[in-house]
Amino acid sequence: MIKESLRVYWQAYAASVQAKLEYRADLVVGVVTAMLSQAAALSLLWIVLSAVPTLGGWTPPQVLFLFGMTAACLGGSELFFNQIWLLPQSIVMGDLDRLLTYPVRALPFFLVTRPELHALGNLFTGALYVAGSLWWLNAAWYVWLTAPLLWVCGIVIYTSILVWLACLSFRFVGPQLSSMMVGHNLLQATRYPLATYPRWIRGLLLLVFPFGAFHYLPGSVFFGKGAPLVALLAAPIAALLTMALAQKAWNHGLKHYESTGS
Amino acid sequence: MPDLLATWSGELRAQAALFVRAVRTSFAYKPALVLGMLTAGLGYVVPLLVWRHVYATRASPLAVPASQLFPYLLMAASLNFVSNMSVESRVGQRIRLGLVAIDLLRPVDFQLTQLAQALSDVLLNVAMVLPFVGLSYALWGRAALPHDAAACLGFCASAFLALLIQFAIAFIFVQTAFITFSSYGVFYAKTALQQTFSGISAPLALFPPALRAVAERLPFCQTIHTPVSIYLGAISGHSLVPVLLVQAAWAVGLLLTGRVLLGFSLRYLEIQGG
Repeated sequence: MIKESLRVYWQAYAASVQAKLEYRADLVVGVVTAMLSQAAALSLLWIVLSAVPTLGGWTPPQVLFLFGMTAACLGGSELFFNQIWLLPQSIVMGDLDRLLTYPVRALPFFLVTRPELHALGNLFTGALYVAGSLWWLNAAWYVWLTAPLLWVCGIVIYTSILVWLACLSFRFVGPQLSSMMVGHNLLQATRYPLATYPRWIRGLLLLVFPFGAFHYLPGSVFFGKGAPLVALLAAPIAALLTMALAQKAWNHGLKHYESTGS
Repeated sequence: MPDLLATWSGELRAQAALFVRAVRTSFAYKPALVLGMLTAGLGYVVPLLVWRHVYATRASPLAVPASQLFPYLLMAASLNFVSNMSVESRVGQRIRLGLVAIDLLRPVDFQLTQLAQALSDVLLNVAMVLPFVGLSYALWGRAALPHDAAACLGFCASAFLALLIQFAIAFIFVQTAFITFSSYGVFYAKTALQQTFSGISAPLALFPPALRAVAERLPFCQTIHTPVSIYLGAISGHSLVPVLLVQAAWAVGLLLTGRVLLGFSLRYLEIQGG
């Protein structure tokens, strides 16, 4: 049963990728500009690090690791689960009606059916930053091995939190995407070491919206910031918890779904 | 001559009607508006907090004292929010759906129509940003207000020119959507350049020399750094008029470039089928 569902999700994803590949020029422009966007994000870091040698005790390559993991996580989520950004619009248009009649789990099917291939730009740039930072830091082999696992956890955490926020659209019907931008902006905030922020924001980004769990905490372990080894478990635990809560939020939201009259 | 006047008067009436409709549409989704404010606020708080940490940990003073930096950052964020006109997403979507064909058939100027709609977004954004300007006054008092009456007047003129420049840049970028049928790429390209070179994250005085040299030669710093510097009195007196003239030159040049590019883009326009 699970195998059959996975096959359906994969086929739906592959068909959506093919549809996206029809717009070749858009793909090239999108990938290039996504990379440009990630490069632009480094500009503030460049300005800041020209004023101080370290940020919250983190050196430039260590901060670059955070930037890279954030970009790669963003890229991964957009590449595989981007449709969540269209949930408010789908609710307004009544597009969920058809989806709910399919013999598959609605949430994963909904998530995978509109990939954003521009995300490859974020993904490549993120991977480049992470590889560059780990090479610069002479990181141990186990850090290189752990990074992809943390990336997967990051994708799950970020997408799940987007689902929580998107489900608000079942209550507050409107075509805007603002609720999910809260999650997006919080993720982007974790490009800088959490030690830079006041204590309550650190708590928010570790416990409520646990974006710090997939790169800041592991980075604190790898780069000798005093975090215990057990902090490495925070990423998979946060991924499982946020995913379970996302499914609950979706189920709860669907109870309020009213379709449209036309 | 009377014919020309009648044509222009009709054009203005049509644009004014579009402006009012667009404002009403924007105010229709109130929860989305509130969330939009929160989201934007969140995005702007991050550089503030990073700079707060830098100033708290650095022993020697920087080129810009903290008493000037934080009002600058808040005003820069407010102005950037106000000038968020969604030109790329609105025009890009209409190109993708083929609705741009209807826009082009209307007996009104396409670029001016988009400008009218963009200015209606600005009006909405001004209403949303006012509480944050009040907050900056509560936090920093006099330092968050215009330096003097001349600065206030100069800022109004400069901010208007900055809006025209922002619109003109967005209009130029969105031309690529006629070829790519998507506004995603152009939106991110413009945003990336704006964030890097406009001075939204820091005044140009804090930029590393290489980055500053590039920023000063591009129009993006005219959209944030120039008006905010006038507001805070960093540009004043005799230097005010030349600065405004440079802004006006950028605005006119970019608007005209957009018109020319639109002519070229329309040659590539394919209306998407049903």
